[in-house]
Amino acid sequence: MKSRFWSLTTILIFLIFFFFMILPVLNLFTGSFQTQEKGAFTLQNYLSFFHYPSYWRSLWNSILIGLISAAGAMIVGVPMGYMVSRWNVMGKSLIVTLSTLPLMLPTFIAAFAWVILLGRGGIITKFLQTWGIHIGSIYGYPGMILVFVSQLYSYVFLMTLSGFSAVDESIEEAGCSLGSSQLRTFWTVSLPLVLPTILSGAILTFMSAIENFGVPMIIAQQTPNLVVKAYIEFTSEVGTHPGMAYTLSIFLILITMASLVAQRYYLSKRNFIQAARGKPKVKQLTPGKRLLASGIIYAFLIFTLIPFFVALVLSFMEMRGPVFYPRFSLQSYVYAFSRSARPIFNSYFLATISTLVAVLIGVPTGYILTRRKSAYSNALDIVIMLPFVIAGTILGIALITFFNQGWIVLTGTWVILVLSYVIRKMPFIARSSASILYQLDPSLDEASISLGVSPMKTFYKVTFRLMMGGVVSGAILSWVTIISELSSTLVLRSPSWSTMTVEMYQGVVSDDLGKAAAFSSIMIISTVIPLLLATKYFSKDKGGGILL
Amino acid sequence: MSIQIVNVTKKFGNLEAVKDVTLEVKTGEFFTLLGPSGCGKTTLLRSIAGFNQPEKGEIYFNKKRVDKIATHKRGIGMVFQNYAVFPHLNVFNNVAYGLKARNFSADEIRPKVSRALQMVRLAGMEDRFPNQLSGGQLQRVAIARALVIEPQVLLMDEPLSNLDAKLRVEMRSEIRELQQSMKITTLYVTHDQEEALSISDRIAVMNHGVVEQMGEPWEIYNTPVNRFVAGFIGTTNFFEGTLISEQGGQGIVQVSEIKMKVSAHSPCVGEKVSFAIRPEAFKVAQEITEAERSCFLSLPGRVNKVEYLGFMTKYDLELCRGLSVKVVSYDVLPQHLRKTGETIELCYDPQRVLIC
Repeated sequence: MKSRFWSLTTILIFLIFFFFMILPVLNLFTGSFQTQEKGAFTLQNYLSFFHYPSYWRSLWNSILIGLISAAGAMIVGVPMGYMVSRWNVMGKSLIVTLSTLPLMLPTFIAAFAWVILLGRGGIITKFLQTWGIHIGSIYGYPGMILVFVSQLYSYVFLMTLSGFSAVDESIEEAGCSLGSSQLRTFWTVSLPLVLPTILSGAILTFMSAIENFGVPMIIAQQTPNLVVKAYIEFTSEVGTHPGMAYTLSIFLILITMASLVAQRYYLSKRNFIQAARGKPKVKQLTPGKRLLASGIIYAFLIFTLIPFFVALVLSFMEMRGPVFYPRFSLQSYVYAFSRSARPIFNSYFLATISTLVAVLIGVPTGYILTRRKSAYSNALDIVIMLPFVIAGTILGIALITFFNQGWIVLTGTWVILVLSYVIRKMPFIARSSASILYQLDPSLDEASISLGVSPMKTFYKVTFRLMMGGVVSGAILSWVTIISELSSTLVLRSPSWSTMTVEMYQGVVSDDLGKAAAFSSIMIISTVIPLLLATKYFSKDKGGGILL
Repeated sequence: MSIQIVNVTKKFGNLEAVKDVTLEVKTGEFFTLLGPSGCGKTTLLRSIAGFNQPEKGEIYFNKKRVDKIATHKRGIGMVFQNYAVFPHLNVFNNVAYGLKARNFSADEIRPKVSRALQMVRLAGMEDRFPNQLSGGQLQRVAIARALVIEPQVLLMDEPLSNLDAKLRVEMRSEIRELQQSMKITTLYVTHDQEEALSISDRIAVMNHGVVEQMGEPWEIYNTPVNRFVAGFIGTTNFFEGTLISEQGGQGIVQVSEIKMKVSAHSPCVGEKVSFAIRPEAFKVAQEITEAERSCFLSLPGRVNKVEYLGFMTKYDLELCRGLSVKVVSYDVLPQHLRKTGETIELCYDPQRVLIC
């Protein structure tokens, strides 16, 4: 009976993913080979893609921006990870906490704030102009790279940090004992050991950058990437080309899939990091150097958080149209709450429901992956990896197309939003549950059973209790990222199911900057407070661990 | 409470981990399953616990069949190799866990837990959490937790293998004392032959899923029934040769270039014989008495290696080309200590030859 329960659960999870993800995405794939009117087979979309520069350039833009952002993240993240791991810089846990914040906070708020500061009519731009200094435009590549590097560097930083902290001291000592200088040992022993881990972080940065929708929407302008182009083709008011949108989506999925395969099957097999027996030595810097190193790190951390301070400050300023006046005012909030209270409620409602459903499905999935190993659980492991390679916008397009007609019509309802959130967040919950279960010794369950407690009760009294901390912090992280989800929401929402992110985005594009700032601030607060609670009460598992 | 295991077979896929094992553990007995890793001893223990279901055979506790009963209803106490102490509960609640499952009231639980903790010498540690305890203390908690529910049988799966050598020796005598004082039927699994010999009333030596030999420790050590048991328990010198003559229960065996005397109901002249002699059954000639010399058989040997360990000395001796033996002498006087390269006379009592 017990095994039948788990078989049924496994089948159910498969069905959910099959109907709500695989079928819609396959539908998108076939759609890219069909004519719009009759559905006949055609290669026209692919021919157009390679014919018109505006299409193939968007692919080029995606790849190039992804690569530059990943390289930038390495330039910042690797030295910083090394310093925090091996030098006695000040406040290491504070550094880790502050570095995870940009990963959690909505990236498009950062894009918005940098435009306010450095855009055409930006505060800093204007200030510099009065002194006769003209800075270049931040629209296009510079702005996107600035935002991606400053918001996503942490993938590389956290991976590097854990990598260098896990190199066994004796391995480096062995290098030195064989007559290699410290610097040589770093280049020939330590770095090659950690490199696969660093590259994993870089790939995550690459994937996040090319799947990102909000940042290029706000800041790309003349250099749209695949996601933006697909969105425009799908929703454009001057005649839509869904077939073209599907084709662009397929290209994006191919890139992300290749990256994930590279990460899973190439890099993870070259992971040489083992549990270190001897923790690596932390170098004691002279007070001056220590201050300098810490100063540089904190300066960078503050730099990455500037956009969020800016959004918070602006939200309390008086404004007329796109112009802010340096006077304290609650005008933006009054406006936000009076005109757009519903989206605030929607955001909280959708995030809460979706998180609960994701936990409900994700925790048993994690259990199946670790404790009910079989051919099916291996297949499940691959299936739940798929949402990582499907950008939110693409999933949105796939869902809205698939559930637009036929026997289940979900387009325009809140259910379709919940669906897309659950599909995308459930794998995080499943992975974090699985990683906790890997660490739990199965003989704990057996001990409980041998003491006379039935297996069902044992699950509740032992396994569940021990998993709870990790599950709750995973759930909080999911909740927080759903609150700031823009890409699929913008495709799937209907007028009555708008969210804070959508309102904020519309504030930006319609130059209603006070509204944008107010919603940004509410989102920042809704993100930071749960995160602080999570790290305070469930600090055993650092945010990075669940994220990656 | 006795345990009867009748024709039990347990398969994992095509692998028969336990093959048609039958044995009985008597009430109050300390019974050990001993064998190398992968021999099926843990699988058999887990079948008795109910963590796996044997394909064939029956398991009885006191004539009552239990192999279809769920683990949590079998009334067992179990101690695990890696302690399995609940990390989210303190020592008190770990020990009280099984009592709570049995619906004892809080007033009943408290004295029972403190008595159990006293037994394993952890009194006063009630409020500690597992991450504040050492390996030895964790295993004591696990033992207290298994004993406090007054189980009918106690199952122990290599409980000492994660402890360091010195603690292992201490803990095994404590476990033995506890078992004796509570008269609890105990089935113990280990791969450590010294541990098995020191702690058990009876031992079953297992290999490849079958019981090779069952008996009291001295039987297992002194009269191994086959080469596997002789080799697994203690260190042994094996010899193979041809019986060239036999007279009055004493045979002469040609082993390589030398002749050796064996005393046994051996096969016919001309047949192959294999036998074993324990290192401590050999004596270096000058250490034995005249009386012994008369009935012992002596062989010349060249010292290849000497390992002086204080209370004992280990020699590697070459009897002839290609035939070396290990010899152990206890309490060797300095003037009797031999050096590498010397030739010495080696004696043994033919009665202590193990034919196998």
